[in-house]
Amino acid sequence: MDVTAVDRSAISGDTLLHHAAPASKLIAAGLLLGAVMTVNDPLVAAGVVLSLVGAGAAVRLPLGQMLPLALYPALFALVFAFAAAPGPVTGALIVLKAVTAALAVVTLMFSTPYPQVFAPIQRVTPQVVGDALLMTYRSLFILAEKFADLTRAVRLRAGLSARQPIRSAQATVRALGGLLLYSLDLSQHEYDILYLRGYEGGLRVTTQRSTDHAADLASLLYAALILAVVLVFRLVPALSGYSWLVTIAGAVDLLTGLLIGRRR
Amino acid sequence: MSHIHIPDGVLPWWLWLTGWLAAAALLGIAARRATRSGSRRAVPLIGVVSALVLVAMSSEIVPLAYHVNLTVVAGVLIGPWLGVISAFIVVLILALLGHGGVTVVGLNTLVIGAEIALGWALVRTGTRLFGIRRIRPIAAIATVVTLAATTTMVVGIVALAGAPAATRGTGALDAETLEFRNPFSEGVFSSGLVGGHEHGETDAHEDEHAHESEALAVSRFAAVVYTLGPIGWLLEALVTATILGYVGKVRPGLLFSGAGVQGRVAHVGDEHGGH
Amino acid sequence: MNMHTHDRGRLADAEEIIRISCVKHTYEDGTTVHLCGLDFLAHTGARVAVLGPNGSGKTTMLYHILGLMKPQEGSVTVFGVSPSEQWSKIRKRIGVVLQNVDEQLLAPTVIDDVMFSPRQYGLSETESRERAHKALALLGIEHLADRVPHNLSGGEKRKTALAGALVMDPELLVLDEPFEGLDPKSRSALLALLDRLAREQHMTIVMSTHDIDSVPEFADYAYVLAPGGRIALAGTPEELFSSADVLTEGNITPPILAELFARLRARDATAPAPALSVAEAVEALTAWKSCPP
Repeated sequence: MDVTAVDRSAISGDTLLHHAAPASKLIAAGLLLGAVMTVNDPLVAAGVVLSLVGAGAAVRLPLGQMLPLALYPALFALVFAFAAAPGPVTGALIVLKAVTAALAVVTLMFSTPYPQVFAPIQRVTPQVVGDALLMTYRSLFILAEKFADLTRAVRLRAGLSARQPIRSAQATVRALGGLLLYSLDLSQHEYDILYLRGYEGGLRVTTQRSTDHAADLASLLYAALILAVVLVFRLVPALSGYSWLVTIAGAVDLLTGLLIGRRR
Repeated sequence: MSHIHIPDGVLPWWLWLTGWLAAAALLGIAARRATRSGSRRAVPLIGVVSALVLVAMSSEIVPLAYHVNLTVVAGVLIGPWLGVISAFIVVLILALLGHGGVTVVGLNTLVIGAEIALGWALVRTGTRLFGIRRIRPIAAIATVVTLAATTTMVVGIVALAGAPAATRGTGALDAETLEFRNPFSEGVFSSGLVGGHEHGETDAHEDEHAHESEALAVSRFAAVVYTLGPIGWLLEALVTATILGYVGKVRPGLLFSGAGVQGRVAHVGDEHGGH
Repeated sequence: MNMHTHDRGRLADAEEIIRISCVKHTYEDGTTVHLCGLDFLAHTGARVAVLGPNGSGKTTMLYHILGLMKPQEGSVTVFGVSPSEQWSKIRKRIGVVLQNVDEQLLAPTVIDDVMFSPRQYGLSETESRERAHKALALLGIEHLADRVPHNLSGGEKRKTALAGALVMDPELLVLDEPFEGLDPKSRSALLALLDRLAREQHMTIVMSTHDIDSVPEFADYAYVLAPGGRIALAGTPEELFSSADVLTEGNITPPILAELFARLRARDATAPAPALSVAEAVEALTAWKSCPP
């Protein structure tokens, strides 16, 4: 789980989604989460997953980095499904829900810088919480870089290789200890800077604007369509026999998306 | 860490909404306390410790199977109230990375906040009783106890989800029976194409088994987490003991007081944040 | 030799901005810094350098000026008040760039970071933005406005931090090792900017550096700290370059040119006075060589 890799994509990427306003993408992610909560048919859920991957491929998001993150919760969903679900079909639905939700948020995070996602959250949380959220973002990169340096130094000095897992693990823990001390010094320096620069509360982020309104519309409409399809199949039980059509549609979306993405 | 790895759309809406409301209330209290003791000090401390936890979590000590959490360490460094805020931030960022559901952020904040607070309380009590020189065994025991407690909290939450509820859950998972009301339970070809039968006709039959399947679901879940959990608890205890032992040896003043121990001026409104 | 005299002609009407009198500070590990020997003074429009080896107390001095440390003995006044007790009264008049600029950049983007102080001081969003763009333009980094700090080079981070320090048009600028990480071209540009700020806006600039050889380029006046914080020497660059022996006695490596001319003088009393730059040294030595003894 490389938090810095997500940031790199969000900041340096240049896909259609990157040009949409953060607000549009947040609403779209919200609609998709609504679909996750509402879907009650694993075939419909499977169709949604395939379609989402297809959409990501079409706009050329880095699926190679996104999919492992999106599939990771499947492991734990499987454990939960095995433990709590009454049958394999419902277990499949649980896993598909986990993957869909993860895919929705991961798509948001790979195309939107963290602070732009945090900014609306800041508006509904107490000021100290919102400010700490932004400070976490800033500190994350400083500490990640420091940790990489410390780990490298510890491993070099101990002469470790990948084939010594226990000693490597010990080296990592030693590096974490060093990082902890560094991080507390960092917080002291940041406190000094806040004091010097007149901090009285309220770290603000300049909101990014959309640079392509078509992208805003596309992401909103797409998410709304997915939610509508899920709702229809949920509210009209008579359609349940045709839910395999959604899976087929999702597969077609995926193939189309892969082709479009390749062409660009 | 007892991060609930239950996905979105599984827990009933009233449960995760209650989690959000309770977390919001706790955050409100924590924020007021943090502001009173000086947000200039609290903000960087929370930010840095949250970042530390996130960096630690992405360092794979045992790839895929286990990742360091440092929640007890975080508690010892910043205390329970700042710890609650840090818990929210860590859980939120993890959820945004697909690591844990978004709807369960509230519940997760409560669980991780409890982990931080309990870890802090146990280590602090232990070091007061037995001295800071014994911090390693104290930290190890405190970590195991803390994680066992919060794992139990998670099992309790799942049990609550399985308890009879007035309304059906999200629509996908029936809160009463932990079953999914979907066409497949009556057979694909018996509904839709052949006209199907009303759901009501099968209700009586399902009710008989509802209680049994609910009990099975929770106990099976508990069996899984209590079997897999202790391995993680022991690894985390080892890591926590090592790190706190190291800090206790080189800079014991940092324990329970976070930053602000470098002979700096305590400015008006920024009282020393010791806890 | 009275090393405390300096040309006050230009600064005759200048206001005293900073005065440090025999300040003592003891760190937690027992290390003591005793900023004594001479009073540290900085007046309006002066460019003052604080020089010394590592561990001599340069940063301790700056931290006392900034109110981050309170003197255990002695006194510090900035704009007439004690900075550790009344920082809020004077902070808008002071811009700061500390040594580790990574830790100084707090906001998610460059523009947000430069707008930090104006926003905190209650300026409107429009005015904050205008000021920020003006500061970025001054440093030639307007194109970096939407960039994130962790993707910037060391030099870009330093310029961003400086823009943040200049955004409120301060009267006093405090810089800790400002040239670290800058390539020669950026260094020259920064020197030119600091010179312009001092001359045109009468900004007082106090900077700490270990680069004693470059003092003539960026300082009107310099204080040299010996290990332990003792202020061993104070004077104009000319006076500094004439005091190689005093510096050596205080365990401070003198400027190369100062040492060169001191040794020449020791061998031959007709050797010219110390030059402040290589070009001046070439001129002086060439003239000396062509003159009969």
